[in-house]
Amino acid sequence: MRDALIIARKELKSYLSSVSTYIVFVIFLMLSGWFFSNLMFKSGKAELRQLFDVLHLVYLFFIPALTMGMIAKEKADQTFELLATMPIKLKSIVWGKWLAAVELLVIILMFTLVHLLTIMIFGENLDYGSIFCGYLGLVFVGAVYCAIGIFASALQSNQILAFIIALVICLFFYAIQFLMPLFPNALANVFQYLSMDYHLENFLKGIIDTRDIIYMGSLVIGFMLLAEFSLRMNNRLQER
Amino acid sequence: MIEVNHLTKRFDVITAVDDISFYIPAGEIVGFLGPNGAGKTTTLRMLVGYLQPSFGTIRISEQDINTDPIGLARQIGYLPEQNPLYDDMTVYDYLQFIAELRHMDEQTFTERLEFVLDKCGLRDVIGQPIQTLSKGYKQRTGLAQAILHDPQVLILDEPTSGLDPNQILEIRELIKELGKAKTVILSSHIMQEVQAVCDRIIIINKGKIIADEPKEELGKNLSGSVSLTIELEAENPDFSAWLELHPEVELKECVPKEGHWKMEFSYPAELDLQRDLAQFIASQKWLILSMYKQQHSLEEIFHLLTTESDTDELDKSETEEADNSPTATQVEEPEEKEEDDNA
Repeated sequence: MRDALIIARKELKSYLSSVSTYIVFVIFLMLSGWFFSNLMFKSGKAELRQLFDVLHLVYLFFIPALTMGMIAKEKADQTFELLATMPIKLKSIVWGKWLAAVELLVIILMFTLVHLLTIMIFGENLDYGSIFCGYLGLVFVGAVYCAIGIFASALQSNQILAFIIALVICLFFYAIQFLMPLFPNALANVFQYLSMDYHLENFLKGIIDTRDIIYMGSLVIGFMLLAEFSLRMNNRLQER
Repeated sequence: MIEVNHLTKRFDVITAVDDISFYIPAGEIVGFLGPNGAGKTTTLRMLVGYLQPSFGTIRISEQDINTDPIGLARQIGYLPEQNPLYDDMTVYDYLQFIAELRHMDEQTFTERLEFVLDKCGLRDVIGQPIQTLSKGYKQRTGLAQAILHDPQVLILDEPTSGLDPNQILEIRELIKELGKAKTVILSSHIMQEVQAVCDRIIIINKGKIIADEPKEELGKNLSGSVSLTIELEAENPDFSAWLELHPEVELKECVPKEGHWKMEFSYPAELDLQRDLAQFIASQKWLILSMYKQQHSLEEIFHLLTTESDTDELDKSETEEADNSPTATQVEEPEEKEEDDNA
């Protein structure tokens, strides 16, 4: 755990001192801001539902872009060999990276609070509970996508490829909701349960349900184990 | 200290390290020498636990490396072939990060940092981002990383690559000094380096150990012969009388050259025949113009060994395959399947 925190701190520091991170941040905020203002003035409601839906969509590109380098770059620069031969567990490395990605995500979500400020000024009767739950849900969804991104990044040493793999996997969980009508009724429930949007919807309504948390938690753990496993296979590291 | 038994590493069809065994006692500086692609890096990577051997065991400090890899990693300092540096960090941040990963406390870190900065000559660049450093400073930063925690075993993969001659000398001195108290394994394809630093030399080629001897022995056993070249002024020199006296001497060359003669003798290194020959020539009233002795350098030995074993190996592998191919493939197959997804 301590090792994971060390890795996370180092990772966060180097991400925050790199220009490309800020470019990704700016693109993220521009997209979400543009969609938010467009949709909000059309609907005329004092809520952040539309923003959250937009953020979920932007996640699909933002999170793979954020995580693509986390392990792939270490492999390409050969620094992974250093980390792997340090007296730390492989688990600490991947979880440290994940933690850093989630922290970055939380930082960027803080910037979107400016939209909340807008509707606080111009709107009335805000449901702060559901807004809080919505943000919580977004962090959870982001955590899952971060795990997917870390997994994709651990597969090989090409960052672009890592981005594409992560995007495809995230897209699968995102797009299931649109494919629902195509599935036979018997399978509908299964696919509904797999759909990320279905679980996020509960949060957006202001419901914190353990089923949703279990769903997201198990996805995070599952992809993190896969990431660790793939590193172990690729480098044939000893059990550590 | 380090005990390696029948270590083998296969990557799909290539056998990078082929059944090597050696023992390194504590406090020895051992040089791994071999041409590029001989399996040096693969061996070292297995020693530090970055690669899993296909076959064979490694024991460090009387302990199999699989029993406590984390504890073992604390004792080892490792400088990989591709110097692993984070370009965006400063030298200080980098070393601090390493110290944190190694769970060093504040005080030990400050002490060791002082030591490392002095020894590796990094004091001037401590605050600079690593990407702005020259190759030599980068290499020293990598070395500083490896010795920061005062490891018992130091494994250095081509530690002096990219350094200028002065720096190479400094680093060699440093390695020698560290080697007084610690076990050091370094790999190199540069002969002089190994010659200058190591107590013992292990030469590998194509994944096999072809020589494993103390530095001095290696020269003696393999150089075998000395060649003595003389130029002399004489009508028609005839050495048969002298050669009869010394049957172990071989006359390799005898050519007339612009009114004088150039001759080359070859004889075992332990004999000292220069004086004898000179006296013989004097007794014949010939005139010596020049005379020089040439001993095989390690470089030549290295060249001799690595090229010789090429042909040897071909013959051997052919016969081996013919002999025991059925059993060999049976044993090897499952092993290879496990290793299928090669990075």
